[in-house]
Amino acid sequence: MPEIKDITTGKKIECNSGENLLAVLQKNKVYVNNACNGKGTCGKCKVKVLNGDVSEMSEAERKMLTSSEIESGIRLSCMVEALGDIEIQTENDTTAMNVLMSGYIPDFEKDSNLTGYGVAIDIGTTTVALSLVEFSTGKIIAESSCMNAQRAYGQDVLTRITYEIEEGDKGIADLKKAIIDSINAEVNKLCATNNIDVNEIISYSIAGNCTMTHMVLGVDARSIGKAPYKPIFLDSQTRNAVDSGFVGSKDATLYTLPQVSGYIGGDILAGAYVCDLKNKKGNSFFLDIGTNGEMVLSGNGKMVSCSCAAGPALEGMNITCGMPALPGAIDSVVIDKEEGKAKVTTIGNEAPKGICGSGILEVMSELIRSELVKPTGAFVKSSKLSEDDKRRDLLIEDESGSGCRLAETVSVTQKDVRQIQLAKGAILSGFRTLVNKCNMEDKDIDEVIIAGQFGSHLSAKALTGSGLLPKDLENKIEYVGNTSKTGAYMALMSGKVRSEMEKLAKEIEYFELAESENYEQLFVECMRF
Amino acid sequence: MDTKELYEKIAEGVVEMEEDTVVEYCQKALDEGLDAADIIREGLIKGMDEVSRLYETGEYFLPEVLTASYALNEGVNLLKPHLKKEVATTLVKVVIGVVEGDTHDIGKNLVKIMCESAGFEVYDMGRDVPIDDFIDKAVEVDADFICLSTLMTTTMQGMKDVVEHLKERGLRDRFKVMIGGGPVSQKFCDEIGADGYSADAASCVRKMKEMMAEKAWNSRNQKR
Repeated sequence: MPEIKDITTGKKIECNSGENLLAVLQKNKVYVNNACNGKGTCGKCKVKVLNGDVSEMSEAERKMLTSSEIESGIRLSCMVEALGDIEIQTENDTTAMNVLMSGYIPDFEKDSNLTGYGVAIDIGTTTVALSLVEFSTGKIIAESSCMNAQRAYGQDVLTRITYEIEEGDKGIADLKKAIIDSINAEVNKLCATNNIDVNEIISYSIAGNCTMTHMVLGVDARSIGKAPYKPIFLDSQTRNAVDSGFVGSKDATLYTLPQVSGYIGGDILAGAYVCDLKNKKGNSFFLDIGTNGEMVLSGNGKMVSCSCAAGPALEGMNITCGMPALPGAIDSVVIDKEEGKAKVTTIGNEAPKGICGSGILEVMSELIRSELVKPTGAFVKSSKLSEDDKRRDLLIEDESGSGCRLAETVSVTQKDVRQIQLAKGAILSGFRTLVNKCNMEDKDIDEVIIAGQFGSHLSAKALTGSGLLPKDLENKIEYVGNTSKTGAYMALMSGKVRSEMEKLAKEIEYFELAESENYEQLFVECMRF
Repeated sequence: MDTKELYEKIAEGVVEMEEDTVVEYCQKALDEGLDAADIIREGLIKGMDEVSRLYETGEYFLPEVLTASYALNEGVNLLKPHLKKEVATTLVKVVIGVVEGDTHDIGKNLVKIMCESAGFEVYDMGRDVPIDDFIDKAVEVDADFICLSTLMTTTMQGMKDVVEHLKERGLRDRFKVMIGGGPVSQKFCDEIGADGYSADAASCVRKMKEMMAEKAWNSRNQKR
């Protein structure tokens, strides 16, 4: 039996000859970035094979690696079979991310006479945020966050549903166990550091997107992944927490927030509730940006929602120089047309290594402002610029196409711009469709509410400068933080809140964007910068 | 204006995505007594060829290709009633659609446009198409290719199912199966035993042309 030794984690793993390397590592909890769950599209599951007998490199794998990577022994683990004893080096796990914890909490009526402790949880596809709450005072006494361990089965909702499709009941059980283990570990830690007996936890309240909510309850999520995208349940669910796998008092209850549709889940419903979209005067546009852009427009007496497939580009995936928000990641840039220079700032003020998710929109916005990229999304040709135009210094034109150099080793390619353009087109087309549905115009929007972890890092200037939202809305943008967790907290504390949420979930209209009339034409228009 | 100039104007109209220009010069060409099929081939299709070239270089993207195709279609609609009824026998036939469970069809539409402008006869099955419908249609029209698209990882399995059902029905060698879409890769193509994968619409059509040129494939075609 071949033995795999990973020098990064020090783990030694036995496997069968011919077994897929990524699968073995996953099974043994060695984390490898694996956005597409072994489909061979993302090119992120890089592992250095130091020595030993592995399968030959296929043409498909070769195409996804640079020649220097190949020389240094880098392989894509989803395309490698272990044939004999091997020694490998996995990349370091990068869990050091700041998770957005807090946000605006409105005044609300709390239930009285409660004792013990409760936990409010926002289950994000990437991260999980928790609040430990003391019922007698209603105070949040401690907060924590962790990565959602389900990411071992894929980065986004669809790849995880695919895991259920491929593995059936085992897949559903694996995903449930992964998220509950993540939560229990955090709850145990929170209790320990605050000298609270875990048995004093008497209730949980959970907000998450529809898929996450299904998965944490161990309910089949597969139907959400295929048209007509109908989930098994939409209503709020109440269960015994311990029977469901959570730590706590044996009678502890588990409540999950209601959903509007398969793609507008309890997290967005929580946001709509926390921001009081229903009773607010004026017209409000609520947006949570991630792999999916989820949005609700309220006004003229109704609330309408939709979800659009923005893809992973805005979070730095599929972007040539994309990287996580770690030291060395470019987070802003100013392009000086006169000097022909890109002045970047990086996280930790380190030498630029790549561009982080929020940086990508900042960069895009500057490329448009400096007219290095035309409204169609194509880079200008240097042959079309006058001899003394300094922008020539920034343009790259070689056999692989056009691009712009931001730093010595960091550039943006035409392909990157196209990826961003698809995301921008998706989100803007969602916005336009909602505005039409409510018989409004852009100028009728009184406020734009940006919720969620990722959106909180996007400046109003970048959001409008890159064309995700119309320019006129720049001064109307505000940020509300993690309203999903706030909603879970409010539901934890109040029966009145829970029943209002359940009512609200039925009042918000939802429609399938890709199926709306003339969508293709609208999408095309919305792709213009 | 001589014939060559007319064709150039039409092609230019397609490249510049100007429906009015395309219609105007197609009408002029008809008035001059030019053959409708020639106008399509030498004007409209030439223009669309240039559009695919620009798409491949990165100068054009989805919006330009779609808008150019709207202009092209206006021209085709005008010329269609004037086409003589003879049908070319060597026409490449393509059955295309988005696999069951997926409703995202813009990528598929792009490939369809590129196929049409390459002169292929395209049978568009739309989106969320049941597996066996692809096969039934391909048999019915005696297609050369079955082109499958999906944007979602959850529905990729449908592509494998098409290949498997073809085998079960003893039809695997009759059609070439092409796959594409966001989550699809060469690796996946190899795994499920499809015939071709391409990352974008233009290279898909190029690959199909290469396949048609392959000898074994051609000789099978002749036998048919």
